[in-house]
Amino acid sequence: MTAPAWLEVLNETLDACRTHGRADLAELLRRRRDAPAEQIRLGVLGFPKQGKGYLLNAVLNAPVCAVGDAATPAVPTEIGYAEEPAATLVGRSLERIPVAVERLTGELGARPAGTLSRVEVGVPRELLSAGLVLVDTPPVGDPRSPRTAAALDLLAEADAVIIVSDATASLSPAELALARHVRTWCPHVVLALTKIDASPGWRAVAERDRAMLAEAGIDAPVLPVSAVVRQAAAKAGDADLNARSGFPELLTWIAEQAARPPEQSRALLAAVGVRAAAAELVESLRDRADAAGQEAGLGQAALLQRAQRRADDLRRQNTRWQNLLSDEITDLLSDAEYDLRERTRKIVNTIDQTFDDGDPAKVWDEFAPWLDNALAEAVDTNYGWLADRAEWIAQATAACFGAQYEGALPDLRLDGSGVEGLDDVRRPKIEKFKVGQQAFTGLRGSYGGVLMFGLVTSLAGLPLINPVSLGAGAAFAAKTIKDEGGMRLQRRQAVAKQAAQRHVDDVFLRFGKECRDSIRVVQRRLRDHFTGLAEELADELTHERETILAGTAERERRTVHIRREIDRLAGLHQRAGELGTIAGRTTRRELSA
Amino acid sequence: MTQDVRDLLAAAAGLYRDDPRASAVLLDCQHRLEQPLRVAFAGAPSSGKTTLSAALGEWPTRALRDLVLLDDPGPADDFPDATVRLVRHLEPDELAAAHPPGGSPFARQSAVNSVLVLSRADEVGAGRIDALLTAKQLARRAWREDPLCTGFLGVIAVAGQLAYGGRSLRDDEFDLLAAFAAVPREELERYVLSVDSFTDPAFPGPIPVETRRSLVVRFGMFGVRLALTLIRTGCDDRVKLSAELVRRSGLGELRDTLAGCFVARAEALKARTAVIRLEALLAAQPRAGGDRLVSRVERFAAAAHDFRELRLIADIRGGRTALSGEPAEEAVRLLGAQGTAPADRLGLEPDADPGEIYDSGLDALRRWRHEAERPDRPHAERTAAHVVVRSAEGLLALFG
Repeated sequence: MTAPAWLEVLNETLDACRTHGRADLAELLRRRRDAPAEQIRLGVLGFPKQGKGYLLNAVLNAPVCAVGDAATPAVPTEIGYAEEPAATLVGRSLERIPVAVERLTGELGARPAGTLSRVEVGVPRELLSAGLVLVDTPPVGDPRSPRTAAALDLLAEADAVIIVSDATASLSPAELALARHVRTWCPHVVLALTKIDASPGWRAVAERDRAMLAEAGIDAPVLPVSAVVRQAAAKAGDADLNARSGFPELLTWIAEQAARPPEQSRALLAAVGVRAAAAELVESLRDRADAAGQEAGLGQAALLQRAQRRADDLRRQNTRWQNLLSDEITDLLSDAEYDLRERTRKIVNTIDQTFDDGDPAKVWDEFAPWLDNALAEAVDTNYGWLADRAEWIAQATAACFGAQYEGALPDLRLDGSGVEGLDDVRRPKIEKFKVGQQAFTGLRGSYGGVLMFGLVTSLAGLPLINPVSLGAGAAFAAKTIKDEGGMRLQRRQAVAKQAAQRHVDDVFLRFGKECRDSIRVVQRRLRDHFTGLAEELADELTHERETILAGTAERERRTVHIRREIDRLAGLHQRAGELGTIAGRTTRRELSA
Repeated sequence: MTQDVRDLLAAAAGLYRDDPRASAVLLDCQHRLEQPLRVAFAGAPSSGKTTLSAALGEWPTRALRDLVLLDDPGPADDFPDATVRLVRHLEPDELAAAHPPGGSPFARQSAVNSVLVLSRADEVGAGRIDALLTAKQLARRAWREDPLCTGFLGVIAVAGQLAYGGRSLRDDEFDLLAAFAAVPREELERYVLSVDSFTDPAFPGPIPVETRRSLVVRFGMFGVRLALTLIRTGCDDRVKLSAELVRRSGLGELRDTLAGCFVARAEALKARTAVIRLEALLAAQPRAGGDRLVSRVERFAAAAHDFRELRLIADIRGGRTALSGEPAEEAVRLLGAQGTAPADRLGLEPDADPGEIYDSGLDALRRWRHEAERPDRPHAERTAAHVVVRSAEGLLALFG
């Protein structure tokens, strides 16, 4: 014999539930699959104090269930057929403790919570003789409470459900939600409207309840009943009164449930279970997909936007820093040259002044070191100033990058290779002033060469003449003039002037070139450095975009997977619907992916 | 106590002089101290708030004259001084929802301003004739045993519809009920089984269906059955029936609780509301120099003995202390459960001689001090005795 079609669909759905981490749904389906075929289980569900116990007792015409203020058991009570009334407490590890039916309520109250798994009661009622089992459940309440869970657990095996709600008020939102949940898992549901004996407005309540159920798409009749009237009718043996209790209709409905052919019933239950599980699973998958999509949509949009903003910033930065650097370097070049020229011009003036009046043969001893120092100071000052400006330019350029610059390049001092050449001149003092030495060496052949040579070489060990001031030249000029006159003196003066001026020019040319070179070096270094930084930032940005886009692709891949699963489940849902139709019920809404 | 609160409010008014909204709040707090106590009726829809507050409100007694009953206080900015919380069933879910909200440590420690009412007590036990007794037992048991009922000054079963119907019973209604009661019981029985049978056209006698319907709508099926039984057993005029219906409805018990727990402590409860509002203001809009005021409020809260008395009264009555029998009665009396005047606390006649009051007070102080210092008693018991000692000391201090 081949497995029935419903079993195949059920097993496939069960696997899907397991795969997607819904062991709870899988367990429900498993119990649906393995439920004993010879039993018809009819569950009774409701919120507290709605009259569930009274209703069951009235159905059975026997005080089986606890009513009124007695504590309601936290476990289900299964009431089935037995020739003699009997009650059994079933413990956690399925041990069975028989108790007398009349002592059941007391026994239940005496047991500590959590030690029982269910109660079984047998009563000699014809209604139950064909295998019908009525299941009384703990009251439904807080969705998180174990009592509620124990009550809803019934849905895994129930063939039909009576929801109990009293006529003092129409269905609350929580009751309506319960009805919807029950109807999703169980094909045959009725709403028993209790306490109509005490509620003057019960007809209006019944109408409202019917309308609410219809509006919510819950296919369940509303049957108004009164346990009080039923009890009075039983006592008086009054059939007319019994009819008014509403119970005959309810009993007819119950009998219909019991009379259903088992195989058809099983197929329908399986189909409904599959549809409920598939729908719930699809919902959780959709939630997951939506959440992922939403997170992706939100996150990705924000991230890409930020990346775009940063790219725009970077473009603006590049233009800004490049313009800034080239402008500043041009200015620096001309400023540095002007400064150097200005300083040397003053020195030349002093030279002229000195040898206009002074006798080189007498002043040279003092003059030569002064000149060296004056030149060295001019160069030193100029270079110091140049270095400061270069550093300032570096900082200004860096500022164009804003916060991104911080940490990107820790050291931008101008003491790298390009500056070393300048460094020699920066601390020229006398002994380092090679340019001057060469120049003086050149003088040997023409005038006072030996003297000058000697002078220069001896200078190395001598204390330097005090801080070079431009007034110094005038001082030794005033001191030495008048000692000699005539042509010889004038010639000496002209030669000395020329030699000194040439030396100054020489220094100016040499140093001016070095200066320009240095500035160029600075420019190149800064340009290279900031270009590198800009490229780094651009690379980073590109990488970031790639990451964002790659993340999207991954999420999309997952979403596609989830969609495919939803499609598959929708297929199962539909197949189950067809099975349900075959089993004798029309089904409505289909799931769509 | 009220004067202390007035001082605190005045200091706060100085602090928030430049803030019109805060000033308005503080002014309202000050006015409220002069006004009657405001008691709110709170509960889920159709728990019977309106019916019950109407039944109480129309009560022409001194006891409740100084109350303003707020049926369904909507906006959160309406600060009631005390609350009557209604539930239809003493079920965990409903009780959890009825729990008074938290608040500042002071608000929680002094949360002695709500009473729980099991409204619609006539629906208990499928409307059997002993429904009200069962409901009262349930309420008492819940108050003593259910941890969810710990915060309330009392748990009282009340049949609001019956109370209201009884209070407003008209002559024509009494005549109708008396006429029904005259019908032989066996004959009538099946017609008072349910609303449908009571409004059945086959009902014996000439009373129109609509009249019967209005009767059952006003009193409920339970109320009609109870009234018929009462008329048959001796309540043979409107006044007697009205009084008996009201007595059985549990309304009197509720009124006494409101009078004892709320009206007698009106000053303390109003002061409490003002302090809680002041605390909230200081927390929401901190000001430079507000620290001193905050610590003054804290000192006030720590010293407020009235709330400790109320809490202990509730604990003793709810059976949550080891005290019982005569010592328990004496303790709640000394704590002021029957009135806060010295003579009330000592159980003496209102016109008792001051010397007698003083001696009696001294005697009580000695005995309770002994209780408070007995090393063989558990800590909780000694702490409770300390509160009683403090009350006795306060009583004697009036003679200082």
